[in-house]
Amino acid sequence: MRRRTAALALGTAAAMVLTGCSAMSSNANGTVTLNMVESLTNPARTDLLKGLIADFEKQNPKIKVNLISPPTEQADQKIQQMLQSGSGVDALEVRDITVGPWSNNGWLYDMEKDLKGWQGWNAMTENAAKASEDAKGRTFFVPYGFYGLSLFYRKDLIKDAGFSKPPASWDQLLKQASAINDPAKRRYGYAFRGGANANSNVTAIIEAYVADKVDLANGYKLKNGRTIFSAPEALDALKTYLTLFKKASPKSSVSWGYPEMVEAFSNGSTAFLLQDPEVIATVSESKSISKEQWDTAPLVAGPSGKTVQPLATAGWGIAKGSKHKAETVKLIKFLSQGKASTDFTKKNSLVPILKSATEDPFYKTGPWSSYVTMTEHPDTYLNVSQPRGVTWWSEWEQKSDADVQKMVIGKMSPKELLTGWDAYWTKKWEQEK
Amino acid sequence: MPATSATTTGPKTSRPVRKQAAPRARNGPRGGRKREFTTRRGLLIAAFMAPAAIFVAVFTYYPMIAGSQMAFRHWDLNDLTDTSWVGLDNFHRVFADPNWGTVLGNTGAWVIGSIVPQLVIGFALALWLRRRFRFRGVYQALIFFPWAISGFLIGILFRWMFNSEFGVVNDLLQKAGLIDEPVAWLADPHKAMIAVLIANTWYGVTFFAIMILAALQSVPDELYEAAALDGAGKARTLFQITIPYIRVTLVLTVLLRVIWIFNFPDLIFGMTGGGPNNETHIVTTWMIKITQQGDYGKASALGLLVIAGLLLFTVFFLLATREKREVRS
Repeated sequence: MRRRTAALALGTAAAMVLTGCSAMSSNANGTVTLNMVESLTNPARTDLLKGLIADFEKQNPKIKVNLISPPTEQADQKIQQMLQSGSGVDALEVRDITVGPWSNNGWLYDMEKDLKGWQGWNAMTENAAKASEDAKGRTFFVPYGFYGLSLFYRKDLIKDAGFSKPPASWDQLLKQASAINDPAKRRYGYAFRGGANANSNVTAIIEAYVADKVDLANGYKLKNGRTIFSAPEALDALKTYLTLFKKASPKSSVSWGYPEMVEAFSNGSTAFLLQDPEVIATVSESKSISKEQWDTAPLVAGPSGKTVQPLATAGWGIAKGSKHKAETVKLIKFLSQGKASTDFTKKNSLVPILKSATEDPFYKTGPWSSYVTMTEHPDTYLNVSQPRGVTWWSEWEQKSDADVQKMVIGKMSPKELLTGWDAYWTKKWEQEK
Repeated sequence: MPATSATTTGPKTSRPVRKQAAPRARNGPRGGRKREFTTRRGLLIAAFMAPAAIFVAVFTYYPMIAGSQMAFRHWDLNDLTDTSWVGLDNFHRVFADPNWGTVLGNTGAWVIGSIVPQLVIGFALALWLRRRFRFRGVYQALIFFPWAISGFLIGILFRWMFNSEFGVVNDLLQKAGLIDEPVAWLADPHKAMIAVLIANTWYGVTFFAIMILAALQSVPDELYEAAALDGAGKARTLFQITIPYIRVTLVLTVLLRVIWIFNFPDLIFGMTGGGPNNETHIVTTWMIKITQQGDYGKASALGLLVIAGLLLFTVFFLLATREKREVRS
């Protein structure tokens, strides 16, 4: 009896361990199950993806997709751990900031051959086709959309302050925001970004100030090969930016990240906000400001009248360890074209990857029209590649965010910041050679 | 049953112990059958323990050991093409980092600044909840509720409460006439540290209250009655009866809380993310930050330093309090 009990216990233990270690794969009737992991997770987007996956499964009855949705904050780390283990992932969300390290570590599959001659490329915008290739012509992900900056502004506050139209340049933005700013009335000019990802807006203003000199292939490089931080215009940009904080922004915005910035605009207390299009949906639901009170304008320009649109992107890729690459390519093709792609970009408030979208009334009217304006004027809103795919990008983000906070609270001068950033990128590029 | 009598009647405890000891002696080398029985029994026990043992080995000890060896290698998640051994280089990089001094100081301030108010307020709450009054159960449940909430969530809630422009804290202080203009709590390094300490005190008071209340219920009422008859006041009763009686619980609770607070990055991470200007980082939030940069070698070195520091603290704390606890027992 005891022997039987012991055997039973051992059997249970073995079963538990083996079940834990097994991975999903194809079963006896030939149905393949793909594991797909998303990174920029939110509940609405997950539902949207599940709907698209259901459509894909209907068209491909022999393929099932198991969607894994880790919380956004830890998603990329979880994906890294899964990729490091070498199995368990087929399709995954790859961002422009993760493609560099992940491909460098040999975790991503190059889809270049699988997608050669694919008719989906013809329907894509130039930006999308360009973003899908790395410097060596490899395709580690197909972008699903773009995140680009535009200026959210309050029509009523601008009018009350005596201005007839929204600012077109950083100088005008400073002027209008300072005129509107009145902390005693809890009214602020600009939703300043001093917390997480503060570096992105600082580099946006620097790029706008050096727009005439910037290398189109690398937004952090001048045409003469030096960094944008070494240009004298960069110092002017930082001085303007610091004045924007001192004269037109709430004091506590030293620590503001995405949630605080969006809240400040949505609750009606702040006149200007630089943000991605996904904020359109959030602000549209605001109960503090009506649709008539706000709009978006194209990204503000530098002294030359030009600016650089720092487009960020993400898309779908395949893990090198996947045993079902052909089926995963099928899934990625499905998500990257036609109705699936349009639905995803529209409902997820993204700049679309398909050319046909610019003709869509959805993008031609209201807050979206500023994005169409920017797309239609590439000479003013320069399309410059950002070096977000480098392996040291996350290290750079941490360092630069801390430096911006130091500068804003007066522990570092703009000049010191620029010298440090110039040295950092110069050294990294040297090491890369 | 002897065992039952052993637990219920004090003076008879020696007899059942001897009775239980006798069969063990007969299971010695002389009895082959007995030995076979013991082996089978051991196997059975091992079989039942196996799932838990395997689980802990695979999911706790293996990652811990694997993580430890990263501390001595160049382990950058952004570039795993070179993971060579680098000796103590990662430890040197931790000590040479300009943030190291600030982080250490903050960790000390975080632990002491959290423990003291948590202990004092938790003790006061426990003393108050010990008395019988109407709806005591409801009050207890309400007071213990924060312990059930995630630390990260509390961090986010307090981040909004301490928001200078839209937060409830400044609003209340202004309405009460205590401040004239909004305080930028999370934008100033010193005020940000005060804000996170207030949040942690609110969170941790509960645990002290639970533990101390449980200990207080073991203090016999006869002692308080005798003290009252002898004319002892409230303060004397507290310091000469209550505290000495529950000293063991207090010592262990403080020890546990120090370790937990040391290892509690959630709240700071949710509230300030270690900012502004890295001025509210403690060792564990800093470790997360380094991990996010992909520098697993340096983060693992820091992790080992945390383990070593906490081990040393535990040994010293237990040695320092041993004498008093022995006297008490």
